[in-house]
Amino acid sequence: MSLLKFLTRRVLHAVPMMFGLATLVFFVSRLLPGDPSSLYVSPGIPPGVAEQLRSQFGLDRSLWDQYLAWLFSTLRGELGFSFAHGAPVKAVLLQVFPNTLLLGGTAFLLECVLAFVLAALAVRFAGSWFDRALSNMTLVVYSLPSFWLGILFLSLFSFSLKIFPSSQMHSVGVEQLDGLATFGDLLKHLALPALAVAVPGTAAIARYLRTSMTETMRQDYVAAAIGMGLSKGKVFRSCILPNSLGPVVSVLGVEIGVLLTGVLVTETLFAWPGMGRFAVMAIFTRDYPMILGCTLSGGALVMAANILADFIRAWIDPRIRLT
Amino acid sequence: MRLRVCFALLFVLSITLLGCGTKKEGKSGAPHRSVVIIAIEGDIDSFNPLFAEDITAGEINDLLFPALVSSGFDLESGELKYSPLLARSWEFANQDRDIVFHMLPNARWTDGKPVTARDVQISFELYGDPDVASVRQASVDNLRRTGGKQDIRKSVEVRDDSTVVFHFAKAYAGQLFDAGLPILPAHILEGLPRKVLRSDPVNKSPAGFGPFSLTKWTPLQEIVLQSNPESVVPYPAKLSQLIFRIIPDYRTRLSQLESGEVDLVSGLRPEDADKVARDIPHVEIISTPGRDYDFLGWNNVDTETPAGSPGATIKPHKLFGSSEVRRALTMAINRDELVHAYLGTHGQVAFGGISPLFKWAYNDSLKPLPFDPQQSRLLLEREGWIDTDGDGILDKNKVRFSFVLKVPAGNQLRTVVATAVQQQLRQVKIEMKIDQVERATFWKEVTTRKYDAWLAGFSVPLQMQLDDLWGSDLEKHPFNLTGFRNARIDKILAAAGTLKGETEGAALWKEFQKIVHEEQPCTFLYWINSIVAVNKHVRGTRIGVLGTTHHAWEWHVDDAGQADAPASY
Repeated sequence: MSLLKFLTRRVLHAVPMMFGLATLVFFVSRLLPGDPSSLYVSPGIPPGVAEQLRSQFGLDRSLWDQYLAWLFSTLRGELGFSFAHGAPVKAVLLQVFPNTLLLGGTAFLLECVLAFVLAALAVRFAGSWFDRALSNMTLVVYSLPSFWLGILFLSLFSFSLKIFPSSQMHSVGVEQLDGLATFGDLLKHLALPALAVAVPGTAAIARYLRTSMTETMRQDYVAAAIGMGLSKGKVFRSCILPNSLGPVVSVLGVEIGVLLTGVLVTETLFAWPGMGRFAVMAIFTRDYPMILGCTLSGGALVMAANILADFIRAWIDPRIRLT
Repeated sequence: MRLRVCFALLFVLSITLLGCGTKKEGKSGAPHRSVVIIAIEGDIDSFNPLFAEDITAGEINDLLFPALVSSGFDLESGELKYSPLLARSWEFANQDRDIVFHMLPNARWTDGKPVTARDVQISFELYGDPDVASVRQASVDNLRRTGGKQDIRKSVEVRDDSTVVFHFAKAYAGQLFDAGLPILPAHILEGLPRKVLRSDPVNKSPAGFGPFSLTKWTPLQEIVLQSNPESVVPYPAKLSQLIFRIIPDYRTRLSQLESGEVDLVSGLRPEDADKVARDIPHVEIISTPGRDYDFLGWNNVDTETPAGSPGATIKPHKLFGSSEVRRALTMAINRDELVHAYLGTHGQVAFGGISPLFKWAYNDSLKPLPFDPQQSRLLLEREGWIDTDGDGILDKNKVRFSFVLKVPAGNQLRTVVATAVQQQLRQVKIEMKIDQVERATFWKEVTTRKYDAWLAGFSVPLQMQLDDLWGSDLEKHPFNLTGFRNARIDKILAAAGTLKGETEGAALWKEFQKIVHEEQPCTFLYWINSIVAVNKHVRGTRIGVLGTTHHAWEWHVDDAGQADAPASY
């Protein structure tokens, strides 16, 4: 099977999964008590206002009608109309989704780089106190939730040492700074949340990568390569690394989902203006289309990551395409 | 070697980026900027006063869209006072049923169009239009009707460009209050389809005429207002910018206040107020006696046949139907201790449903029922509640005095208070279980009187209009949560609604509190102060009963420039 065919098949498989996810979330979200109009049930507001709003939002129609309306809107690419923001969900998400991608992408990059460095060092000093310490440390760090690390980083680097800002994407008055300084300001704001999200994943990937590298190093072809007189660096780059990455790539695909969960929680802690905060707000305000929009965007991201991981694995190891 | 070079380059790049903070050169001789930054918990819901429901949105909109009159609260008398704003003067006519407003002739919208009487007329038409579904729809209820129908073009009459007449159906105390809604741009809003006005993009780019105008709104990040140099209502703000930074985490807001990143944080918890005052020398704490109270709601009516259902026969609740039992419950709870332990000097015991702020109406001859478990047990015994089976819980006719207290999730104070109440009621052999409920669920169930008991909070309105909370028509008043019905209270509410001067109703409201105090439809716990922490360099604030940014156009920074630079990170 060619790579293109393999990729097409994976994408086609993802379509019904997305449809199933959307349908499930649509009906499950309607099980929540109350609806958006309940925000307008308050002393001083005539009871009729809530009814008028239900009608304006289309909530007085049957659930089936609402589902079809939302489905057609989604097929048109609008993802429905947000009650709380008074705009198509797509337009609202386009404002904040890039921020989530920036935080998630940076965290993912950090995870990969740090995990690679740590695993390489552990393999280099296999069996040493460093290797043992790293192995134990990664186990502990992997079990730490992102939000807990976020609180730790905030109190240490932001409130005590005052090295990094504690919230938002930019400082007040950032528009007065020039281009490079603006970028620097963004990096300073990005550092702590990205690190909080990345650290647990780093530990997990480092452990996988170390194990995979150790396994590969035991293979005959590695011994043969060393016996042929190739340098250590050459053996590592040409033999060990490519053959160790295969299983880890699959883990990275799954890790994207875990990472996204961490991002959504961390955004609230660091007041990062991303999709996670919109999702939380949407749940509290019963903004159903926004809940669905956030779920679908997150779901699409995880599926895309997994398809990409499968694609890379298939590219590295052609045997996979046959399955 | 190459790797080392890469690392060195990366290191230099990091240091450069983290260290840089070059400001663009400003124009020489530009006026000195003064900026105040307010930390807020969440984003606002709308820049259109028709739809803005949350408090911060209301405060921001007041700075963009001034009203005809400006209200102030006189702490000495506890009365609302009105002063000119868009209206330079007004007079009452037609046996006080009409108010003739004379508007400032030179006010202009930020797009250059003049602000006229027609803007006032269309604003009120929009507020009252059911198609618009404004949260302020009730404000036009008392305007005169024509042939039984509300026709705002007749009840808000445009006499000329700068004279508008409000025709009310009757003279009453809240006429100026009801006429004091933000004025909207008719030339922008009038032609838009009203049923979908709520979702029109115009709500995100407001054209106001107030002392501030909106410069930038970055969702979930910040709202930047700047002084509007053209404003004559009342004048351009003294601050160059007023910035609202959205910081959801409470502790982060406090830390940024300490570091000077933000200048003002509202909604401080009582346990933090004294610590902030002690530990942060550049911050001042303003604790204003509030309009908010927490209470233990006892459902006075049977939950099996919820009052409010059309035609339902209302039966008393099996546990809380008797006022003697409710008095016993109140006397079993040590409210002084709760206030001392959790609010300190930032609250006081509540008992009558009217805030001590309203001095003219507050009945200070009444005293809260004392904490007296002995007397409480006696009252319960007289009502037939005795522990007959020796299980440590009172019972009557095989019904145990055991119930579930519903508490809306997310309020730390209420959670700990519920636990304290649980322990105290146990001392009089009453079993109370606590169940935390998600907020939307809680309000849906409690307004249909499905719960036996709950711990919640209310905010009393500035205008003494309490029909919604205490009216006996339970179908019409879902916020009479306890289902308490009293014919005399209905008469008081009706009589107070017809008085011309608010303070004329003082005797009525004092009687109202006496009845509520005797009947104990619920156990009032405490009034909670509104606590705001503000940097001492912010001067001219009027933080208090009417909000945090009330009259923010008067604010200034005494060391102008300190708040000018971006945060020093």
